[in-house]
Amino acid sequence: MKLLTKTTVYFLLIMLPVFTAGTFFFYTKFNKEIKHETDEELINDKLQWMRYLDTASVNNPVFNIHTPEFNLQPTDKTTQDKHKLKGINIYQEPENTYAPFRQLSQVITLHNRNYELTLRKSLIEKDDLIKNVAYVMLTAFGGLLLFVLIINWLISRSIWRPFYRSLDKIQRLQLNKLENTVFDRTNTHEFNQLNGALNNMTNRIHQDYTSIKELTEDAAHEMQTPLAIAQSKLELLLQDDTLSETQLNGILLSYEELQRLSRLNHNLLLLAKIENQQYPVTEQPDLCTVIEKYLLLFEELIREKDISIHKEMTDHAPWPLHPALTDILVSNLLGNAIKYNYPKGNIDIRITANSFIISNTSELPEIPASMLFQRFKKNHTGYTNTNGLGLAIVKKIADSYHLQIRYDYHNGQHIFSVTF
Amino acid sequence: MKVLIIEDEPALRTSIQEYLEHQGYICELAADFKQAIDKVNEFDYDCIVADIGLPFGNGLDVVKELKMLESKAGIIIISAKDSLEDKLRGLELGADDYLTKPFHLSELNARVNAILRRKNFDGNTTITFAEIVIKPASKTVLVHNKSLTLTGKEYQLLLYFIANQHRVVTKSALAGHLWGDEYDQAGSYDFIYTHIKNLRKKMLEAGGEDYIKTVYGTGYRFG
Repeated sequence: MKLLTKTTVYFLLIMLPVFTAGTFFFYTKFNKEIKHETDEELINDKLQWMRYLDTASVNNPVFNIHTPEFNLQPTDKTTQDKHKLKGINIYQEPENTYAPFRQLSQVITLHNRNYELTLRKSLIEKDDLIKNVAYVMLTAFGGLLLFVLIINWLISRSIWRPFYRSLDKIQRLQLNKLENTVFDRTNTHEFNQLNGALNNMTNRIHQDYTSIKELTEDAAHEMQTPLAIAQSKLELLLQDDTLSETQLNGILLSYEELQRLSRLNHNLLLLAKIENQQYPVTEQPDLCTVIEKYLLLFEELIREKDISIHKEMTDHAPWPLHPALTDILVSNLLGNAIKYNYPKGNIDIRITANSFIISNTSELPEIPASMLFQRFKKNHTGYTNTNGLGLAIVKKIADSYHLQIRYDYHNGQHIFSVTF
Repeated sequence: MKVLIIEDEPALRTSIQEYLEHQGYICELAADFKQAIDKVNEFDYDCIVADIGLPFGNGLDVVKELKMLESKAGIIIISAKDSLEDKLRGLELGADDYLTKPFHLSELNARVNAILRRKNFDGNTTITFAEIVIKPASKTVLVHNKSLTLTGKEYQLLLYFIANQHRVVTKSALAGHLWGDEYDQAGSYDFIYTHIKNLRKKMLEAGGEDYIKTVYGTGYRFG
């Protein structure tokens, strides 16, 4: 849920009961006030009437007046000192409803005769009152809501802007580009604290990352010399005629394993270098030429397995990739397509202006997505001369130079496609 | 043929020396930058094998010094760093070849051999081994004066064998020589056997002797 939505929802949840209570309060308050005013008017009317009736002395008349609002009739009741006020409902013929009235009644004495005086005044209809109050309140509520929405939007636009800027930066963070990431100062204390913490964190991550990377690279480099020494000594030992077959086999095995170690080392270094962007794009090698070069290099391997190659290539496909990486990309994908193929299998190569698709037959099952481009995840058994880095390197090239790589498995065909 | 080996690791230095001397070269050694500069100023060499990372200096500066001295020596740079820039700079400065550690001694020897051949005779020479005569300029191979038709890789194999004659050459060294960095992709060494079988067959058919000996499971020895 967005911040803006959340504050609005909270506002609504709080304001709804407040406004309901407010509406009820206003209604009772208005009701009371109107009653009070009407009562005052009734008392005023009574005094006026009394004064008038007192002076109207025409031969001892007997008053008997009946109107809905003014009623004066003779009675035997004793005189009352105080008037009585109460609310009543009276039937209204035209509307066929009862309407609320206030009524004042008192037994008074006029010319030694007792009369019952009743004065009535209509109140504003309750329904209309509720309607009006609710209308006013709803208008106020709606207006306030609109106001809050606009204010929220304005606030989130201005006050939250540094926050969203930082958020955007974090989302686009890349491990190998941390040194360029700076979270700027803002004029909000909390955001300064946040950005300060983020700066510290990225700096620390960057330092750790660089030192680990340097350690890996240095270690790999430093390993090359001892490897070279051991390998050369073993190679010289192999020349010794006096050694027994078992001894020679032992030496050969160590020699081969050293080779594997140095190849592994070489490939790990390569991965690090690709990640460090040490292969700038300075020219655009023609992918078709590279493919032809490697088809020629692997000629015997293809012939030995009797693999048939189908090519569908455009005349010229310049790729925005360093020539060394273009070589590695093609050699790894084509090499795999040959290595994991079965005798008399197929390899299909399709090159358009911006895509390279290579598919091959193989007895190996589909590579699970979780294992596909992982380092040292060998997706097969029975192939010893491999270090499980080939596809990881291809993936690293694709990631570092914004190429898209995908793998599909369809009808026994392993399909790798690279596009830019 | 005189070769100067500039390498600060004593063990590697002596390995290279031992292998090259066995192939008939006269080797001199330099353990650091100063010794290297002294030696190249004092003597003439046919070939110089120089490590890049040296105490007191850089192997590339030795190359510069050699070019200043207008030396005709072939230069091979060996480096622990498989760095493209170093390689390009070395070649730009006038080095003839670049080899990354670790390397096969047989490979280093083959490269020294190739450079000396190119330098000293401008490629216009023949390589002779008993009844086999190779003309590198035209890439032709004669056995008892009969021309052999070899594939590119068979020809490379033969040159490699002759350069490393009488030594055991391992299958991985052969694979590395024929396929370079890509020999990872080969999957197995079986295909080398096919190449050797074909080469042997062609030479036998031309009346040559069988010089390629299989050494246990180790590799091959020529001659």
